[in-house]
Amino acid sequence: MANQKNEPTKGQGMSLGRRNFLKATAGAAAGAAVLPCFVPGKALGKDGATPASDRIVMGGVGIGNMGRGDQRNFLGRSDVQYVAMCDVKEGTRKGSKATIDKKYKNNDCKTYNDFRELIARTDIDAVHCATPDHWHALVVIEACRNGKDIYCQKPETKTLREGQLMIDAAKRYGRVVSGGSQRVLQDYRRVVNPCWEGKNGKIKSINVKVGPLPMECNKKGENVPNGLDWDMWLGPAPWAPYHPHRCSGSYRINGTCWRSFKDYSGGGMTDWGAHHFGGATFAIDVRELEPNKVTFHNDGGKKYATCHYPNGKLLHHNFPGQGNMHVIGSDEKVEAKPVPKYAGTGGIYGDFIDCVKTRKKPFRDIEFAVHTATVCHLFIIAYQLERSLEWDTVKQQFVNDAEANRLIDYERRTPWVL
Amino acid sequence: MNSKNIAKMTLAAGAVALAADQASAKTDAAAVDTAIKSLKTYDWGVDIKTLAPIEQAIIDTQKDAAGRKKLEKALADMLASGISRSAQDYVCRRLRTIGTGQSVKALAALLCDEKSSDIARFALGDICCCPTALDAIREALPKVSTKLRPGIIGSLGTHRDKKSVAALTKLMGDKDVLTARAAAHSLGLIGTPDAAKALCGCAGKAPEAIKTSVADAGLICAEQLLADGDKAAAIALYKGLKGDGMPKHVKVAAMKGMLTAASKK
Repeated sequence: MANQKNEPTKGQGMSLGRRNFLKATAGAAAGAAVLPCFVPGKALGKDGATPASDRIVMGGVGIGNMGRGDQRNFLGRSDVQYVAMCDVKEGTRKGSKATIDKKYKNNDCKTYNDFRELIARTDIDAVHCATPDHWHALVVIEACRNGKDIYCQKPETKTLREGQLMIDAAKRYGRVVSGGSQRVLQDYRRVVNPCWEGKNGKIKSINVKVGPLPMECNKKGENVPNGLDWDMWLGPAPWAPYHPHRCSGSYRINGTCWRSFKDYSGGGMTDWGAHHFGGATFAIDVRELEPNKVTFHNDGGKKYATCHYPNGKLLHHNFPGQGNMHVIGSDEKVEAKPVPKYAGTGGIYGDFIDCVKTRKKPFRDIEFAVHTATVCHLFIIAYQLERSLEWDTVKQQFVNDAEANRLIDYERRTPWVL
Repeated sequence: MNSKNIAKMTLAAGAVALAADQASAKTDAAAVDTAIKSLKTYDWGVDIKTLAPIEQAIIDTQKDAAGRKKLEKALADMLASGISRSAQDYVCRRLRTIGTGQSVKALAALLCDEKSSDIARFALGDICCCPTALDAIREALPKVSTKLRPGIIGSLGTHRDKKSVAALTKLMGDKDVLTARAAAHSLGLIGTPDAAKALCGCAGKAPEAIKTSVADAGLICAEQLLADGDKAAAIALYKGLKGDGMPKHVKVAAMKGMLTAASKK
């Protein structure tokens, strides 16, 4: 909320209170100097509108396909004041600013090529991030260290180490950090509800069918289009020449978009895996846990793998003969428990905003989100090495497997460090 | 060997392409040799599937130390022979997985070149279980350009290289903001009492451009010290971070850290 310098938040053990909105709407530096001479009734909370002082001041980073959707959802909320956006594509910046300014009937939205400048603004309370996956950890951690709450699109991490660092940063600064899979709660009710209602007895396992694994990209370079900051698009990823398929935000994971490629994504295994594994771990109620083992199987060329949880539950990937979200339970009687739901109104976006206000954990708290991503990464590494692995959930390392431990993270391209 | 099938497997590009018919695929030495030689002409735009035998050899030599060593040497030699940036990229990615001390020299030679430094570090960083790899990165620090320094510094921090503390302390005062930020961050990750001392000394007087990085590094360093049982040093760092001039969220984090430290026996 505006003027956070003087207004402690509940997350920091103090009362939220009213907020000073004026600086926020006018931008970081110029805020105090551009007070409106006429304050409309809506800004004061008349006619059911949220008073400006109670609105969450937001900015967005990465406004491509998913980013636009996220932005639309936040922009449509009366309790959000959207003041800034960042993208490495000039055309996207122009289009996004036009949308935002049209909504507020002003020219106030500030645009940035470098997310660090947006995040450094002291008038912004919360940020949403929908960059390609290789940027997520850097953006989330930068937000936390600048005292911002953040909603980050799924898959939240590109490596195992990133997840732990993101959790640490959120905890260190007491930030609300929500992952961004709306499907986890909304798409799998037919699977989740019977499990939580005890209808499947004691759950033994669930199977997920998803893919493909990420691939390497060796596409020939083309001229960088005008208005694209290719160096910033690549960011921490290894240098590569521009090719439209590398940076296309298309959802087709077939080698024609960044979601297909190892340097920027975990392929379908993380892109759809964030949803499916998220739903599966929710259904069998292991969101709070990490697997401590992944077993790799190769039955005559038919490859599949299984994550093992400390409580004995199994999460299969491509288990032969089982469909997606296939649950194996038992006849044992199990007491029903209430299915967790979003806070506030407006789905996962409302959940995040509500938690920013109340300082509660969002439905897809970063810890749950990272646990889901961890499943994806464990499967990817097991398939890559074609062997079973033990995962030490405390040390965040593979047990007695130096080769697998090399795949926990990667060295980032200068100047990006994590 | 059916290279088409191997390519399917290693690249796993097809729909859930985990179930193929390559279970019995084994390394074909001649195909591997051919693939390695093809690196001399490999460039952006060449189908990566032509190198699939190398991928298969990496999997097949998991329990064959001699075979693995031979494969690694062939790749490192290729790197030293002068190949395209794309081929360097390919080889470094493989050495990241299978590299040992025998690849360090070839990789270290690329560290000062702006076009190859990052990808060489991409491999060396994961060979850091071998001390010579970390030595190579540390030794490159005074030789590389300003542009390359943050990356090198980041690697030294990630691997908690205690021998770098003095150099990083100095670089925290560098006029290049990205270098100074990276140095502070790496000191935080290294997390030794010496690193803490350096961060403590800088915390209150850091220039605006690196203030957030220094504060964040201080908090990370304090957590590391606490994990290592050095409660007194952690508390000293936290005290410095909750002083005037620090952003509110840093002060709160420092206070929270102090409470955690105080409750720790």
